[in-house]
Amino acid sequence: MLKYFISISLFLYSLNFFSQEKDSIVYKDSYGLRVGIDLYNPISSFIDNSRKGLELVGDYRISKKFYIATELGFTEKTTDLDLLNFTTKGQYIKAGLDYNTYENWLNMENIIYFGFRYGFSTFNHTLNSAIINSDPFLPEQEITAPREFDNLNAHWAELIVGIKAEILHNVYLGFSFSGKKMITDKEPEGFKNLFAPGFNRVFLNDSGFGLNYTISYLIPIYKKNK
Amino acid sequence: MKNTLFILLLLIIVTTSCERDDICIDATTPNLLINFFDNEDPTETNPVTNLSVRVLEIENDSLPLLTNDTIVSVPLKVTELNTRYILTLNSLGDSSTDATIKLNRDTINVTYTPQEVFVGRACGFKSVFNNVTYELTDDSNNWIKSLEVVSDTINDETVAHVKIFH
Repeated sequence: MLKYFISISLFLYSLNFFSQEKDSIVYKDSYGLRVGIDLYNPISSFIDNSRKGLELVGDYRISKKFYIATELGFTEKTTDLDLLNFTTKGQYIKAGLDYNTYENWLNMENIIYFGFRYGFSTFNHTLNSAIINSDPFLPEQEITAPREFDNLNAHWAELIVGIKAEILHNVYLGFSFSGKKMITDKEPEGFKNLFAPGFNRVFLNDSGFGLNYTISYLIPIYKKNK
Repeated sequence: MKNTLFILLLLIIVTTSCERDDICIDATTPNLLINFFDNEDPTETNPVTNLSVRVLEIENDSLPLLTNDTIVSVPLKVTELNTRYILTLNSLGDSSTDATIKLNRDTINVTYTPQEVFVGRACGFKSVFNNVTYELTDDSNNWIKSLEVVSDTINDETVAHVKIFH
Protein backbone atom coordinates (compact mmCIF):
# COMPACT_ATOMS: atom_id res chain seq x y z
CA MET A 1 0.00 0.00 0.00
CA LEU A 2 2.75 2.33 1.04
CA LYS A 3 4.58 1.59 -2.14
CA TYR A 4 1.60 2.75 -4.17
CA PHE A 5 1.19 5.77 -2.00
CA ILE A 6 4.72 6.93 -2.63
CA SER A 7 4.44 6.27 -6.36
CA ILE A 8 1.20 8.17 -6.55
CA SER A 9 2.62 11.01 -4.54
CA LEU A 10 5.63 11.23 -6.75
CA PHE A 11 3.43 11.14 -9.78
CA LEU A 12 1.18 13.86 -8.45
CA TYR A 13 4.14 15.87 -7.38
CA SER A 14 5.63 15.74 -10.87
CA LEU A 15 2.31 16.80 -12.28
CA ASN A 16 2.24 19.62 -9.84
CA PHE A 17 5.76 20.55 -10.69
CA PHE A 18 5.05 20.83 -14.38
CA SER A 19 1.66 22.35 -14.28
CA GLN A 20 1.69 24.76 -11.37
CA GLU A 21 5.22 25.95 -11.10
CA LYS A 22 4.28 29.45 -10.04
CA ASP A 23 2.14 28.36 -7.12
CA SER A 24 4.76 26.43 -5.19
CA ILE A 25 5.04 27.69 -1.64
CA VAL A 26 8.35 29.13 -0.50
CA TYR A 27 8.64 29.81 3.22
CA LYS A 28 10.52 32.95 4.07
CA ASP A 29 12.18 34.24 7.19
CA SER A 30 11.15 37.60 8.55
CA TYR A 31 13.91 40.06 9.18
CA GLY A 32 13.28 43.07 11.30
CA LEU A 33 13.43 44.83 14.58
CA ARG A 34 11.91 43.13 17.60
CA VAL A 35 11.07 45.39 20.53
CA GLY A 36 9.65 44.38 23.85
CA ILE A 37 9.34 44.84 27.54
CA ASP A 38 10.55 42.78 30.45
CA LEU A 39 7.85 41.21 32.60
CA TYR A 40 10.07 40.10 35.49
CA ASN A 41 10.23 43.53 37.12
CA PRO A 42 6.47 44.15 37.23
CA ILE A 43 5.88 40.59 38.49
CA SER A 44 8.46 40.87 41.25
CA SER A 45 7.30 44.33 42.36
CA PHE A 46 3.79 42.88 42.54
CA ILE A 47 5.04 40.08 44.81
CA ASP A 48 7.29 41.87 47.31
CA ASN A 49 7.38 45.57 46.43
CA SER A 50 11.07 45.86 47.31
CA ARG A 51 11.98 46.01 43.64
CA LYS A 52 10.80 48.50 41.06
CA GLY A 53 12.04 48.79 37.54
CA LEU A 54 11.52 48.83 33.84
CA GLU A 55 13.46 47.11 31.11
CA LEU A 56 13.11 47.50 27.37
CA VAL A 57 14.51 44.81 25.12
CA GLY A 58 15.29 44.83 21.44
CA ASP A 59 16.99 42.76 18.83
CA TYR A 60 17.71 43.07 15.14
CA ARG A 61 18.31 40.11 12.90
CA ILE A 62 21.50 40.40 10.93
CA SER A 63 21.76 36.92 9.43
CA LYS A 64 20.01 33.57 9.43
CA LYS A 65 21.35 32.73 12.88
CA PHE A 66 22.57 35.96 14.44
CA TYR A 67 20.77 38.84 16.11
CA ILE A 68 22.18 42.03 17.56
CA ALA A 69 20.49 42.39 20.93
CA THR A 70 20.23 45.01 23.61
CA GLU A 71 18.47 45.62 26.91
CA LEU A 72 18.16 48.87 28.75
CA GLY A 73 16.40 49.69 31.96
CA PHE A 74 16.39 51.14 35.41
CA THR A 75 16.01 49.47 38.79
CA GLU A 76 15.29 50.59 42.31
CA LYS A 77 15.81 47.76 44.75
CA THR A 78 15.83 47.65 48.53
CA THR A 79 17.93 44.84 49.97
CA ASP A 80 16.99 43.87 53.50
CA LEU A 81 19.49 41.73 55.36
CA ASP A 82 19.89 40.76 59.00
CA LEU A 83 22.36 43.54 59.73
CA LEU A 84 21.81 45.90 56.81
CA ASN A 85 19.13 47.62 54.82
CA PHE A 86 20.05 49.55 51.70
CA THR A 87 18.45 50.82 48.51
CA THR A 88 20.16 50.73 45.13
CA LYS A 89 18.99 53.00 42.34
CA GLY A 90 20.37 53.17 38.84
CA GLN A 91 20.19 52.44 35.14
CA TYR A 92 21.90 50.04 32.81
CA ILE A 93 22.47 49.05 29.23
CA LYS A 94 23.50 45.72 27.79
CA ALA A 95 24.50 44.95 24.22
CA GLY A 96 25.61 41.84 22.44
CA LEU A 97 24.69 39.00 20.11
CA ASP A 98 22.19 36.17 20.16
CA TYR A 99 22.77 32.97 18.21
CA ASN A 100 19.70 30.97 17.28
CA THR A 101 20.25 27.23 17.49
CA TYR A 102 16.73 26.22 16.57
CA GLU A 103 15.90 24.97 13.09
CA ASN A 104 12.34 26.01 12.41
CA TRP A 105 9.78 24.02 10.44
CA LEU A 106 7.80 25.58 7.68
CA ASN A 107 6.89 29.13 8.53
CA MET A 108 7.55 28.89 12.28
CA GLU A 109 9.84 31.52 13.68
CA ASN A 110 10.73 30.38 17.16
CA ILE A 111 14.12 30.91 18.71
CA ILE A 112 16.22 28.96 21.13
CA TYR A 113 19.34 30.95 21.57
CA PHE A 114 22.62 31.45 23.28
CA GLY A 115 23.74 34.99 23.78
CA PHE A 116 26.54 37.16 24.98
CA ARG A 117 26.21 40.64 26.49
CA TYR A 118 28.43 43.39 27.70
CA GLY A 119 26.71 45.25 30.50
CA PHE A 120 27.27 48.67 32.01
CA SER A 121 25.39 50.41 34.76
CA THR A 122 25.59 53.58 36.82
CA PHE A 123 23.96 53.67 40.23
CA ASN A 124 24.00 54.79 43.83
CA HIS A 125 23.32 53.11 47.16
CA THR A 126 21.55 54.54 50.17
CA LEU A 127 22.36 52.74 53.39
CA ASN A 128 19.08 53.06 55.27
CA SER A 129 20.11 51.35 58.48
CA ALA A 130 22.64 48.92 59.89
CA ILE A 131 23.66 47.25 63.11
CA ILE A 132 27.35 46.93 63.96
CA ASN A 133 28.20 43.26 64.21
CA SER A 134 29.61 42.94 67.72
CA ASP A 135 29.37 40.93 70.92
CA PRO A 136 25.75 39.89 71.42
CA PHE A 137 25.86 40.39 75.20
CA LEU A 138 26.78 44.06 74.98
CA PRO A 139 24.49 46.85 73.77
CA GLU A 140 24.35 47.05 69.98
CA GLN A 141 25.27 50.09 67.94
CA GLU A 142 22.87 51.07 65.18
CA ILE A 143 23.51 53.26 62.20
CA THR A 144 20.24 55.09 61.68
CA ALA A 145 21.19 58.18 59.68
CA PRO A 146 20.98 57.25 55.97
CA ARG A 147 24.26 57.32 54.11
CA GLU A 148 24.64 57.99 50.41
CA PHE A 149 27.17 56.31 48.14
CA ASP A 150 26.99 58.06 44.79
CA ASN A 151 28.58 57.91 41.33
CA LEU A 152 29.17 54.19 41.23
CA ASN A 153 29.39 52.02 38.13
CA ALA A 154 29.89 48.45 37.02
CA HIS A 155 31.01 46.64 33.87
CA TRP A 156 30.25 42.99 33.38
CA ALA A 157 29.86 40.14 30.87
CA GLU A 158 26.84 37.88 30.53
CA LEU A 159 26.14 34.52 28.96
CA ILE A 160 22.50 33.92 28.15
CA VAL A 161 20.38 30.96 27.22
CA GLY A 162 16.77 31.54 26.32
CA ILE A 163 13.76 30.92 24.17
CA LYS A 164 11.41 33.15 22.24
CA ALA A 165 8.18 31.63 21.07
CA GLU A 166 5.82 33.25 18.59
CA ILE A 167 2.47 33.12 20.37
CA LEU A 168 0.58 35.36 17.96
CA HIS A 169 1.59 36.63 14.57
CA ASN A 170 4.78 38.68 15.21
CA VAL A 171 4.23 38.60 19.00
CA TYR A 172 6.85 36.73 21.00
CA LEU A 173 6.96 35.52 24.56
CA GLY A 174 10.48 35.08 25.84
CA PHE A 175 12.22 33.51 28.75
CA SER A 176 15.92 33.64 29.41
CA PHE A 177 18.46 32.90 32.04
CA SER A 178 21.78 34.66 32.34
CA GLY A 179 24.99 34.05 34.21
CA LYS A 180 27.05 37.17 34.86
CA LYS A 181 30.59 37.95 35.81
CA MET A 182 31.77 41.36 37.00
CA ILE A 183 34.70 42.73 35.02
CA THR A 184 35.28 45.91 36.96
CA ASP A 185 33.24 48.10 39.28
CA LYS A 186 33.71 51.31 41.18
CA GLU A 187 33.31 50.38 44.83
CA PRO A 188 31.98 52.88 47.35
CA GLU A 189 34.22 53.94 50.19
CA GLY A 190 33.14 52.26 53.41
CA PHE A 191 30.63 50.00 51.68
CA LYS A 192 30.45 47.42 48.89
CA ASN A 193 28.46 46.90 45.72
CA LEU A 194 26.25 44.08 46.92
CA PHE A 195 23.72 44.82 44.22
CA ALA A 196 23.99 46.50 40.85
CA PRO A 197 21.13 47.39 38.46
CA GLY A 198 21.14 45.00 35.50
CA PHE A 199 23.51 42.69 37.33
CA ASN A 200 21.29 41.99 40.34
CA ARG A 201 22.81 40.54 43.47
CA VAL A 202 26.59 40.44 43.42
CA PHE A 203 27.71 37.12 44.84
CA LEU A 204 31.00 36.69 46.71
CA ASN A 205 33.01 35.63 43.67
CA ASP A 206 31.72 38.64 41.66
CA SER A 207 29.20 36.53 39.80
CA GLY A 208 25.49 37.01 39.35
CA PHE A 209 22.37 35.51 37.83
CA GLY A 210 19.36 36.90 36.07
CA LEU A 211 15.97 35.79 34.88
CA ASN A 212 13.97 37.53 32.21
CA TYR A 213 10.44 37.12 30.97
CA THR A 214 9.72 39.28 27.99
CA ILE A 215 6.93 40.03 25.61
CA SER A 216 7.98 41.53 22.32
CA TYR A 217 6.72 42.51 18.92
CA LEU A 218 8.54 41.95 15.65
CA ILE A 219 8.39 44.86 13.26
CA PRO A 220 9.06 43.07 9.96
CA ILE A 221 11.26 45.04 7.62
CA TYR A 222 11.94 42.51 4.86
CA LYS A 223 11.73 38.81 4.13
CA LYS A 224 14.39 36.52 2.87
CA ASN A 225 14.37 32.94 1.63
CA LYS A 226 15.31 30.31 4.16
CA MET B 1 16.44 21.09 21.47
CA LYS B 2 16.29 18.52 24.26
CA ASN B 3 19.76 19.50 25.44
CA THR B 4 18.91 23.16 25.52
CA LEU B 5 15.83 22.53 27.62
CA PHE B 6 17.90 20.41 29.96
CA ILE B 7 20.48 23.17 30.39
CA LEU B 8 17.71 25.69 31.03
CA LEU B 9 16.18 23.49 33.69
CA LEU B 10 19.55 22.84 35.30
CA LEU B 11 20.35 26.55 35.45
CA ILE B 12 17.01 27.30 37.09
CA ILE B 13 17.70 24.68 39.76
CA VAL B 14 21.19 26.09 40.32
CA THR B 15 19.92 29.65 40.81
CA THR B 16 17.18 28.74 43.22
CA SER B 17 19.36 26.41 45.27
CA CYS B 18 22.30 28.75 45.84
CA GLU B 19 20.11 31.49 47.20
CA ARG B 20 21.42 31.64 50.75
CA ASP B 21 25.14 31.91 51.32
CA ASP B 22 24.50 34.51 53.96
CA ILE B 23 26.46 32.99 56.79
CA CYS B 24 29.01 35.31 58.31
CA ILE B 25 32.40 33.61 58.32
CA ASP B 26 34.66 36.68 58.24
CA ALA B 27 36.13 38.32 61.31
CA THR B 28 33.79 40.85 62.91
CA THR B 29 34.34 43.25 65.80
CA PRO B 30 37.52 42.06 67.53
CA ASN B 31 37.71 41.33 71.24
CA LEU B 32 40.38 42.69 73.50
CA LEU B 33 43.02 40.04 74.16
CA ILE B 34 44.77 40.28 77.52
CA ASN B 35 47.89 38.25 78.13
CA PHE B 36 49.03 37.59 81.70
CA PHE B 37 52.71 37.63 82.63
CA ASP B 38 54.71 37.01 85.75
CA ASN B 39 55.73 40.25 87.47
CA GLU B 40 58.96 38.68 88.75
CA ASP B 41 59.92 37.24 85.39
CA PRO B 42 58.30 39.45 82.70
CA THR B 43 59.13 37.04 79.88
CA GLU B 44 57.09 34.20 81.39
CA THR B 45 53.36 33.97 80.94
CA ASN B 46 51.58 33.34 84.18
CA PRO B 47 47.98 32.18 84.53
CA VAL B 48 45.69 33.91 86.99
CA THR B 49 44.16 31.54 89.52
CA ASN B 50 40.40 31.40 89.03
CA LEU B 51 40.21 34.66 87.14
CA SER B 52 36.79 36.05 86.41
CA VAL B 53 36.18 39.01 84.12
CA ARG B 54 33.08 41.19 84.15
CA VAL B 55 32.13 44.18 82.05
CA LEU B 56 31.08 46.94 84.41
CA GLU B 57 27.63 48.53 84.01
CA ILE B 58 26.23 45.56 82.18
CA GLU B 59 23.14 44.38 84.01
CA ASN B 60 23.16 40.68 83.53
CA ASP B 61 26.52 39.19 84.26
CA SER B 62 27.40 39.15 80.60
CA LEU B 63 30.70 37.34 80.85
CA PRO B 64 30.38 34.24 82.96
CA LEU B 65 34.05 33.87 82.30
CA LEU B 66 36.13 31.86 84.71
CA THR B 67 39.52 30.84 83.55
CA ASN B 68 42.96 29.73 84.60
CA ASP B 69 44.39 30.53 81.21
CA THR B 70 47.24 32.90 80.43
CA ILE B 71 45.19 34.77 77.85
CA VAL B 72 41.62 36.05 77.96
CA SER B 73 39.41 37.52 75.27
CA VAL B 74 36.86 40.15 76.32
CA PRO B 75 34.47 42.26 74.23
CA LEU B 76 34.59 46.04 74.02
CA LYS B 77 31.48 48.21 73.99
CA VAL B 78 30.96 49.60 70.49
CA THR B 79 28.35 52.04 71.80
CA GLU B 80 30.77 53.87 74.11
CA LEU B 81 34.24 55.38 74.09
CA ASN B 82 35.37 53.23 76.97
CA THR B 83 34.74 49.88 78.65
CA ARG B 84 35.49 49.10 82.28
CA TYR B 85 36.35 45.58 83.36
CA ILE B 86 36.48 44.03 86.78
CA LEU B 87 39.13 41.34 86.89
CA THR B 88 38.84 39.16 89.94
CA LEU B 89 41.69 37.05 91.22
CA ASN B 90 40.67 33.98 93.19
CA SER B 91 37.08 34.61 92.24
CA LEU B 92 36.06 31.40 94.00
CA GLY B 93 37.74 32.69 97.20
CA ASP B 94 34.54 33.35 99.12
CA SER B 95 33.31 29.83 98.73
CA SER B 96 36.70 28.35 99.42
CA THR B 97 37.32 26.73 102.77
CA ASP B 98 40.88 27.94 102.83
CA ALA B 99 40.77 31.37 104.51
CA THR B 100 44.16 32.39 103.13
CA ILE B 101 42.80 32.52 99.59
CA LYS B 102 41.49 36.00 99.28
CA LEU B 103 39.31 37.26 96.49
CA ASN B 104 40.77 40.40 94.94
CA ARG B 105 39.03 42.70 92.45
CA ASP B 106 40.87 45.11 90.19
CA THR B 107 39.30 47.52 87.74
CA ILE B 108 40.71 48.44 84.35
CA ASN B 109 39.33 51.24 82.23
CA VAL B 110 39.95 50.92 78.50
CA THR B 111 39.34 54.02 76.38
CA TYR B 112 39.34 54.11 72.57
CA THR B 113 37.90 55.59 69.41
CA PRO B 114 35.65 53.08 67.63
CA GLN B 115 35.73 53.07 63.84
CA GLU B 116 33.21 51.34 61.57
CA VAL B 117 34.50 49.04 58.85
CA PHE B 118 32.29 47.34 56.27
CA VAL B 119 32.89 43.59 56.06
CA GLY B 120 30.31 42.18 53.68
CA ARG B 121 26.78 41.06 52.96
CA ALA B 122 26.49 38.51 55.75
CA CYS B 123 28.69 40.14 58.39
CA GLY B 124 27.62 43.74 57.85
CA PHE B 125 29.67 46.39 59.61
CA LYS B 126 32.23 45.70 62.29
CA SER B 127 34.03 48.07 64.58
CA VAL B 128 37.75 48.43 65.14
CA PHE B 129 39.28 50.46 67.95
CA ASN B 130 41.94 53.13 67.60
CA ASN B 131 43.95 55.15 70.17
CA VAL B 132 43.44 52.51 72.83
CA THR B 133 44.65 53.40 76.32
CA TYR B 134 44.46 51.43 79.56
CA GLU B 135 44.11 52.67 83.08
CA LEU B 136 44.30 50.58 86.22
CA THR B 137 42.27 51.90 89.15
CA ASP B 138 44.48 52.08 92.22
CA ASP B 139 42.81 50.41 95.20
CA SER B 140 45.92 50.04 97.46
CA ASN B 141 45.73 46.27 97.15
CA ASN B 142 46.11 45.65 93.42
CA TRP B 143 46.95 42.16 92.34
CA ILE B 144 47.75 43.63 88.93
CA LYS B 145 51.19 45.21 89.23
CA SER B 146 51.56 46.83 85.84
CA LEU B 147 50.28 47.00 82.26
CA GLU B 148 52.10 47.07 78.98
CA VAL B 149 50.39 48.13 75.79
CA VAL B 150 51.35 45.96 72.84
CA SER B 151 49.30 47.81 70.25
CA ASP B 152 47.17 50.93 70.53
CA THR B 153 44.94 49.63 67.75
CA ILE B 154 42.59 46.68 68.13
CA ASN B 155 41.63 45.53 64.65
CA ASP B 156 42.10 41.78 64.80
CA GLU B 157 42.59 38.92 67.23
CA THR B 158 45.92 37.55 66.08
CA VAL B 159 48.05 38.76 69.00
CA ALA B 160 47.36 40.01 72.52
CA HIS B 161 46.74 43.76 72.70
CA VAL B 162 47.86 44.30 76.27
CA LYS B 163 50.10 42.53 78.78
CA ILE B 164 49.22 42.38 82.45
CA PHE B 165 51.95 41.66 84.97
CA HIS B 166 50.99 40.17 88.30
